[in-house]
Amino acid sequence: MAEAQFEPRIVAFLCRWCAGAGADLAGTSRLRYPPNAVAIRVNCSGRVEPQWVMEAFRSGADGVFIGGCHPGDCHYVSGNYKARRRVHLLKRMLSELGIEPERVRLEWVSATEGAKFARLMHEFVEELRALGPRTDPGEAAPSAALPAPSRRKG
Amino acid sequence: MVGKPKIAVYWTGGCGGCDVSFLELGAPLLDVLAKVEIAFWPALVDAKRADVEAFAPRSLAATLINGTLRTEENVEMVHLLREKSQLVVAFGACAHLGGVPGLANLVSREETLRRVYGDGFAIAPPPGGEADDAPPNLLPQAQPLSTEVTVDYVVPGCPPPPALIGLLFDALLSGDLPPAGHVFAHDKALCEECPRTREDRVLTKIVRPHELVPDPEACLLDQGMICLGPVTRGGCGAACPKAGMPCTGCLGPTPHAGDPGLAMISALASLVRAGDEGEASFAGEDAVLDSLVDPVGTLYKYSLPSYVAKRRSG
Repeated sequence: MAEAQFEPRIVAFLCRWCAGAGADLAGTSRLRYPPNAVAIRVNCSGRVEPQWVMEAFRSGADGVFIGGCHPGDCHYVSGNYKARRRVHLLKRMLSELGIEPERVRLEWVSATEGAKFARLMHEFVEELRALGPRTDPGEAAPSAALPAPSRRKG
Repeated sequence: MVGKPKIAVYWTGGCGGCDVSFLELGAPLLDVLAKVEIAFWPALVDAKRADVEAFAPRSLAATLINGTLRTEENVEMVHLLREKSQLVVAFGACAHLGGVPGLANLVSREETLRRVYGDGFAIAPPPGGEADDAPPNLLPQAQPLSTEVTVDYVVPGCPPPPALIGLLFDALLSGDLPPAGHVFAHDKALCEECPRTREDRVLTKIVRPHELVPDPEACLLDQGMICLGPVTRGGCGAACPKAGMPCTGCLGPTPHAGDPGLAMISALASLVRAGDEGEASFAGEDAVLDSLVDPVGTLYKYSLPSYVAKRRSG
């Protein structure tokens, strides 16, 4: 039997107006994409605190995806800009701490971009597979707070 | 009660500043000293570990421990002192949160030894020990006191301000003790007691203290300095901002701030601008954010071992 493929665990914060609707569209359009992400709907990508991202990592996530509206489209005018600046600083800090900054991914997904959402999920899962599980020496094993995603056959 | 209550003061991986900070109490220190017996205090009295071992369990009314836990000996001593003490107080930022020496957690123990002693350093192993066991027997990481023993109270600060040391002694000597876990500082942010005027300006540049002679009245954050006042406990009377230096967070985060560095990232990201917000400003905004030199060292100067910190491998 082939060795089981590493299935990264992803927490996806999706804004209610754009990325969340885009993810819904991917689903209602029956697009196929990997089931590795646990989606958490937030009102705005600008509401996503860096503390939540680190909490996701502490809870065993291998990657964190943040989906917001395209520039100029934010329902709250500028929440996505705030999210972008937060992620920029957070990534700098992650590299200092020895966590690959690629494990945090901020993307713009509109409500009509179901196909883009599905493609991004494919891409992110592949990238995280290449990075491998997130382990820090000296850190306790990731807790089992997030269930490992199971893959449906067919 | 027979005799005065016995207290001990001990240092682990500290700089000695906490021991000196008691002098800042000034004349009231004499009243304190008149009411207690110092049973053990390496900086002050000649008592040795064997003397501590001979103490009866819980015979010390209180032991104030400063410094981060960095060596195996530190850990042995704090367990010994815990056993002999009714109350253990984490005294100062190192014992409270890990302190400045905790920034060494960014690199491994081996890398720390390499940087301090240089490549090819050799220290004779102890009799019967391995070369790896040679002094100083560093722990893999620096740890705050609470990772090893139960801490009853915290006096935060680097070093603790005299007003807060006074609050501890008032409580200890009056017997009117706060609930376990109490931190002798304010729950509200430092900004509440800062006399500078905040105008909620946006940040178009980030400057380090040596790059700017700040306006004496205006908020330092408004002037582009990374002042951690918004996420840090008050209690020091905003001593640093009053002197024109930004708060570096030595009293630790307020109970509501959570992780102080991540909370500050949120705050800074909200303030930074490079012209009107929008795609055209992205590169400019990133340049402003990148002018924050050493985010981890700035935002976790005293608290790395207590928060997101996980060391690198190798």
